[in-house]
Amino acid sequence: MAQAVRHTAFDAMHPVVPAVFITITLALTMFSMHPVLVAISFAGGFAYAACARGIWAALSSLRWQLPVVLVITLVNPLFVHMGSTELFVFFGRPVFMESLLYGCAMALLFLASVQWFAAASAMLSYDKVLGLLGNSIPVVALMVSMTMRLVPRFLRRGRAIASAQDVARSCAVSAGGGVENGAEARSKEHGSQGPRASRASAEAVVGASARRLPLRSGGRAARGRGLPAGVASRLRQSSVLMGWAMEDSLETADAMRARGWGACKHRTTYMPYRFTPRDAAAAAMLLMGGLLCAWVSWTLTAPYAFYPRLSPIDMWWGYLPYAAWMFTPAVLHIYEMRRFA
Amino acid sequence: MSDCQAGMGGGGLGVDDGGPCADDGLCTGGTGCRADDGGARAQAEAPAHALAPALSFQGLSFSYPDSPAPVLEDVCLSIEPGAFALLVGDTGSGKSTLLSLVKPQIAPAGCRAGSVRVFGRPVGGLSDEESARTVGFVFQDPDNQIVCDSVWHEMAFGLENLGVPQAEMRRRVAEAGYFFGMGDWFRCATDALSGGRKQLLALASTLVMQPRLLLLDEPTAQLDPIATKNFLHALFRVNRELGCTVIVATHAPELMADYATCAFELRSGRVHEVALEEFGRRVSMRGAAGEAAATTAHAGRMRAGAANGGTAVEVRGAWFRYGRDEDWVLRGTELSVRTGELHALVGGNGCGKSTLLALMAGTKRVQKGAVCIDVRERALLPQNPKALFAEECALDELMEWSSVGAYGPQEVEAMLSRLGLADRAAAHPYDLSGGQRQLLALGKVLLVRPRLLLLDEPTKGLDRAARRRVAEVLEEERARGATIVMATHDLELVSGLANSVSLLFDGEVACTEPADEFFRNNIFYRL
Repeated sequence: MAQAVRHTAFDAMHPVVPAVFITITLALTMFSMHPVLVAISFAGGFAYAACARGIWAALSSLRWQLPVVLVITLVNPLFVHMGSTELFVFFGRPVFMESLLYGCAMALLFLASVQWFAAASAMLSYDKVLGLLGNSIPVVALMVSMTMRLVPRFLRRGRAIASAQDVARSCAVSAGGGVENGAEARSKEHGSQGPRASRASAEAVVGASARRLPLRSGGRAARGRGLPAGVASRLRQSSVLMGWAMEDSLETADAMRARGWGACKHRTTYMPYRFTPRDAAAAAMLLMGGLLCAWVSWTLTAPYAFYPRLSPIDMWWGYLPYAAWMFTPAVLHIYEMRRFA
Repeated sequence: MSDCQAGMGGGGLGVDDGGPCADDGLCTGGTGCRADDGGARAQAEAPAHALAPALSFQGLSFSYPDSPAPVLEDVCLSIEPGAFALLVGDTGSGKSTLLSLVKPQIAPAGCRAGSVRVFGRPVGGLSDEESARTVGFVFQDPDNQIVCDSVWHEMAFGLENLGVPQAEMRRRVAEAGYFFGMGDWFRCATDALSGGRKQLLALASTLVMQPRLLLLDEPTAQLDPIATKNFLHALFRVNRELGCTVIVATHAPELMADYATCAFELRSGRVHEVALEEFGRRVSMRGAAGEAAATTAHAGRMRAGAANGGTAVEVRGAWFRYGRDEDWVLRGTELSVRTGELHALVGGNGCGKSTLLALMAGTKRVQKGAVCIDVRERALLPQNPKALFAEECALDELMEWSSVGAYGPQEVEAMLSRLGLADRAAAHPYDLSGGQRQLLALGKVLLVRPRLLLLDEPTKGLDRAARRRVAEVLEEERARGATIVMATHDLELVSGLANSVSLLFDGEVACTEPADEFFRNNIFYRL
């Protein structure tokens, strides 16, 4: 059970704090269509990815990100014919530098947002999100929790079912010609004598009357219509899985009732996180920093224009707080890691 | 003793107020010191209730709507507070029904007569909330009774249902977490836990609601021997240290007899008290595998197996892991299985038994080394027979692979009667008992006539009679010439049936020996 624990930015804080940070960061990133701000945001997101997932994982994600930048950069001028600096003429249409740069900035903005979403999933693990939701919508939080529990179980069981079926099929190959014999035997059985056999076939004809699960018929119907063997076997596999899951859920329902599910009108929620004054202070600081950055972003972005000519970019102190904001998680991450080194 | 227990039953696990837990909730062993204040509190509460039996049935009869024969008939039983009671009986004797009648929320539909009282109060009169706070119920399957995805959430689930305030919830979860030593797995995903820990979690998440009466329905049937002992030990502490009245329904009472204070047997719908001494160690699988499995015959079989010579399965230096970032499950495993023998793989949970079976089945491939298999006709019986069931009735179920195995209705009829399921041919596989289900699954894989039969825990959760049936069928298959590799925790089955045994540990085969020798040489890992 010894799992490597990865400590990251905002690790020791109430999930509200990283949630505030991520929300503000995403908003800033998406609304700041300014070349420098976009670049800062992208760099900050990339720096955090390199910290949290390792430099190689971050670099390898560039393998798909750079082509995206290239494609969007090149595609934009094909649709937008604005600008003042004509670079060349492509199929009788002029391609302007401003248009290329706009596409490039757009692509970086998109990728920066992607980076920050990835950062959000690293900072706000699923149970932290649940902790955030739990107070306001406990039933949804519980449903999410139950679903999360079922997913790995379904995958594991699906594999168990498939392997049992596949292994048994290994006997067929060597039985040679057995397939035809078997089919014959089966049809004989259905048409034949014997109260049980006829009962079974009657049921097959009548349909779902005595059937516990309509889904079960999937396998049978598939076989009847002569679907490809692979498809039929996967259908069958899923019907086995559904039957199994339904059967087990009866017991889970009993276990829930035995522990007082629905006994009280008002459910409470256990929160593994406490909101301390320190968290409040951190959230307040973030809000103020966020306001400052929003003002910076507004001041820079509102008057900025790509067309017809790029507005000039001047040196200004306002870039500093914006950069500080964007690099906060990377710095915090390094701080968390280095505290023990 | 009974006085003191009664007192603790009344106050020790303070159901209504969190207070008592602070001073005596986790105090160990000090029955003397607790008798006083527990008794005082019991008096302050309701003396009549403190003296009432923890659970009493009076003239209880029950029958299911679709069957005229009653499952329970005029059951009269009274269990004192603080007792650790065993309820034994064969599968289908009505143990589970009897226990579930104590909790109306999970009681089956049917016709009921007589009375069920918990601490003197009729169960019908308890509200859902009171019932959840007073009577805890632990089910057989550790997987199915866990509701949430993380251990902490599962622990809190019951308390959340009861609307316990945040701070109170926190301390109760913390206390129970300590009691069960959950510190290092408190934040794990429930799915990643071993079966033993899952069942401990089920117990802990029930006890965190501080019930005074705890009912368990076959709680260790799905666990391996070591996890079983851990679980029983925890249960014992719950009973003796917390004074919680415990009632366990089981078909294998031998292991629990040391912990229990009384035992009752449920037979043909009626309850009789039995002496605990009756559950002395019984090694009966050897006998169960038929009188033919006497030691001499066994040794003779082994020699015959050895004389057979050929190697059916050869695993050479197999290395295997499930993912790139995961640890090796098998580290250079070496194993060879002779043709026509029954080879048992034993070892703790997660030692790689099932993985090794999957490699032999060909559903997984080794990353290093080789697995050479002589025979192509293989079949794998998965740990849970439900993985095989796709049809509406037992007969169809066995017919499902008729095209694969080239067999017909005659063979199926023969197989059904061989398994003792001839009268259940029309039953839905899920309506069969656990033992019948396992036999049906076994029959299904046998019908394709495999020459290499791979079995994963074929006797898990089965009672004595069903295990005997499985053992007989395996015996017959071996006589037919099939090679059988079986991963199991059931050492009785191994000693009665297997030709050779391999003990897996740390991804390697620690030893492979003929069964008799294996059990002679083992000091720790034994029956």
